[in-house]
Amino acid sequence: MPGIMSERDDLDLQIAEYVLGTLPADERNALSARRERDPTVDARILEWEERLSPLADAVEPVAPGPEVFARIERVLDRDDSNVIALRRQVKRWRWSTAITSIAALVLVAVMTFQPQPETATESFVAVFQHNDQQPAFLLTVNLNDRQLSIRPVTAEQKPDKSYQLWIKADELGPNPRSVGVLGDQFQIDRHALSQYDPALLREATFGISEEPPGGSPTGQPTSPAIHGFLYPAGDSRDNNSD
Amino acid sequence: MQSDSSTSSADVSALIGRVAKSDRAAFASLYQSTAPKLLGVVLRILNNRAWADEVIQDTYLKIWQKAEQFDAAKASPITWMVSIARNSAIDELRKHPAGRTTNDDELDQMAGQQSTAQDQLEDQQTVTRLNHCIDQLEKERQDMVRLAYLNGWSRDDLASQFGQPLNTVKTWLRRALQEIKGCLES
Repeated sequence: MPGIMSERDDLDLQIAEYVLGTLPADERNALSARRERDPTVDARILEWEERLSPLADAVEPVAPGPEVFARIERVLDRDDSNVIALRRQVKRWRWSTAITSIAALVLVAVMTFQPQPETATESFVAVFQHNDQQPAFLLTVNLNDRQLSIRPVTAEQKPDKSYQLWIKADELGPNPRSVGVLGDQFQIDRHALSQYDPALLREATFGISEEPPGGSPTGQPTSPAIHGFLYPAGDSRDNNSD
Repeated sequence: MQSDSSTSSADVSALIGRVAKSDRAAFASLYQSTAPKLLGVVLRILNNRAWADEVIQDTYLKIWQKAEQFDAAKASPITWMVSIARNSAIDELRKHPAGRTTNDDELDQMAGQQSTAQDQLEDQQTVTRLNHCIDQLEKERQDMVRLAYLNGWSRDDLASQFGQPLNTVKTWLRRALQEIKGCLES
């Protein structure tokens, strides 16, 4: 007698196909996200993984070349554990370049308060940092007039490199877009974000990468971008001081 | 599931525990004893050594980050690690489907499918049980399950190969998975 599948059975088989690998991409991504916040789904996934994993015993092991672990170690040496820990929290996009998709760090923009319409300015600060202690740069964005400024904190000017600011947002597609190349006093065109909708800026992710002098020759970051968190500036004081 | 015969499941769990505390030496040991298995699995899916190497690097960085989340009560350590590797490989494959070349060997492999012998009786029983359950399925369904799991084939790939509509493939796969589950629980 053909059974009527309960929702639970249906989910279980969807999970089974997820583990098998055959779920269509949208369902796969949705389930992948769901397991992060739903321990029941996560547990079911682990069960199916245990059920099916003995199949992998049929696969012959293949010894990696020594350069593989060397590359892993280089990344661990470069990032300290705080940065790695920050990566755990990030659910959004991954920066990637053709070569350094592993080394590229992730940026996240977090909106943490509701905008108050009475406030004259809506200023947000993105803190770009290599570790938890000292920020490398501070980026300030005023969402009303979309003016931006960048201040170095610990970042140092390097003679053979330029810093370049990037923006990434869903509406702009999968790749980051250049905002501008910083000058040798870390200056940037304060109107460089004026073409963007404040709503987009609110949700956007910012990154700063090191490039050859004058900026990336390819139109995309050629080095891993360091990441920034967007915090509300706190009160109605105007943070644009230069 | 076994990594190499000298590193037991308990050893691997212990290593993961130390990796969770940022122990680089433990991480190196963990890599040494498990990477060949993971690379084998990923290579089978991607069919390209350079691509597989990249995914393995990415996988071990994820393992480094997620080691804290590993719970030996909920998962066996090798399964946990292989799953991270497989998921990464399949994610990559779905993003760049044209990057993979199919060859006839894959289909020949299905014809003469044998599981490798295991040292420990427990693992041997697990491998035998799952294979026994899969062997209860019709031949085409067995092949579909193995091609999907081992070679990373999508519903589209299977539909194309077996000359079936997508919905049929979905139904067959789900039924096969349901029967496997029932068989394992019986």
